[in-house]
Amino acid sequence: MRRVGVIGVGVTPFGKHERSSAELFAEAAAEALDDAGLAPTAIQAIYFGNVVGGPAERQLHMGPQAASILGLPWVPTTRFETACATSHAAFRHAVMEVASGTSDVVLVGGAERVLDIPTETATELFAYASDAAFEQPAGLTVPGVFALIARAHMAKYGTTEEQMAHVAVKNHRHGALNPKAQFRKEITLEQVLASPRIADPLKLYDCCPFTDGGAAVLLASEEAARRSRRPVWVLASAAASDAMCLHDKKDLTRALATERAAQTAYRQAGLGPKDVDVVELHDCFTIAEIVATEGLGLFEPGTGGTAAEKGWTSLGGKLPVNPSGGLKAKGHPIGATGAAQIAEIVTQLRGEAGPRQVEGARIGLAHTLGGNTATVLVSLFGLE
Amino acid sequence: MITLQTFFQEARAGRLTGIRCRQCSELAIPPKEFCPSCHQRAWEAVPLAGHGTIASFTVIRVAPRGRTAEAPYAVAVVKLAEGVSLLGRVIDIPFDSLRIGLPVRFRPLLTADRTVVGFGPA
Repeated sequence: MRRVGVIGVGVTPFGKHERSSAELFAEAAAEALDDAGLAPTAIQAIYFGNVVGGPAERQLHMGPQAASILGLPWVPTTRFETACATSHAAFRHAVMEVASGTSDVVLVGGAERVLDIPTETATELFAYASDAAFEQPAGLTVPGVFALIARAHMAKYGTTEEQMAHVAVKNHRHGALNPKAQFRKEITLEQVLASPRIADPLKLYDCCPFTDGGAAVLLASEEAARRSRRPVWVLASAAASDAMCLHDKKDLTRALATERAAQTAYRQAGLGPKDVDVVELHDCFTIAEIVATEGLGLFEPGTGGTAAEKGWTSLGGKLPVNPSGGLKAKGHPIGATGAAQIAEIVTQLRGEAGPRQVEGARIGLAHTLGGNTATVLVSLFGLE
Repeated sequence: MITLQTFFQEARAGRLTGIRCRQCSELAIPPKEFCPSCHQRAWEAVPLAGHGTIASFTVIRVAPRGRTAEAPYAVAVVKLAEGVSLLGRVIDIPFDSLRIGLPVRFRPLLTADRTVVGFGPA
């Protein structure tokens, strides 16, 4: 298999947009092409992620639509859907296309547009990622899924609502440094704890927002990447799954798919958690960040809450997590999220993250989770 | 073979059905084609008594479209006495008495066209 490099990244501002998902992806792709110094005609395949475009925009088959907007209607495109892990799953397949020698330059990413539909409709559409026989009819929502996980984690490890609130405060502090973040304001522990309840014990500020946005990553073979400005190498890209229904999971306090994907990724790269300098992980809810830091082996099981509380995961801490602001403050356009996390890791490793730069970062990890923790992607990136 | 359709037909009549692997005795909630433990295809239907305890719970306050009039409502993962877990709506238990370990009992929640797994007081 050939070595694969990231040669360009692009992310739209996250927040409210008036353009379609395909347009948002094309905007991010144009930025990635500009970043790579490539003409659009260099792209040999497009891997595109979108989740709720069918019901939300009455648009399926967005891949060719995005290619057409890019002026590349002949380029083969494929759309991916693994709930919130969508564009990271697309990324892994794009890596394989380049690694296999099938293509030399591939565009991958995704987009989502949901802020023009009412909250209860978006809540319904996102809940489609839960099981349609048992979970949706019971009225389970995505916040509800993570509330059930939070309650179990609190009971087993003594994790507190204050520790979860620390995750939100930290990610907002980081997001305030990111010009593309949806929320660029700091919040206090008291604000988080006093915010309206969504699904007990989760409150509004424990939850990431609904977001419009697009993100794109350009991949190239080693030979093509060596001609680019500053390639960042893909050291590993791994996927894993777990049971779809919450009631089929062996332990609600663990994300087994995260553990499996991380083990595979570390093995592929010949690295371990101690080698990682910067992490972008899936903090769709504050408890999700705590469980992910444990599942990735960054902190011992049960100590993810302590890590947030003690500031270990803050910029300047022992292992900065979500310097972009994470899904919590940067925003979570679900089809774009994985590619946006990867774009942040690439920016960090190049040393181009400005005030949110993790000094001296050489190895970065991106972690994206889909649905009821049933799909997880973990990729590792490094410099020469 | 217990399909989703037969599971919910039985549930509508108040009967909860699990599947047990004749090869390795793994107990599961249907539908499953192969046993996730031994990978054989040797299921038999077994009745579940419907008694269990709450493994985790939440009170949903922001509900999806179509359910906003029902909110707030509680959802729980219940560990059944036979050892398998099942997720459902909590019925007729005050929110402030919900706790992990609380005994509950299966009770189907019926609408004209739908059967939902529910759990009420033991």
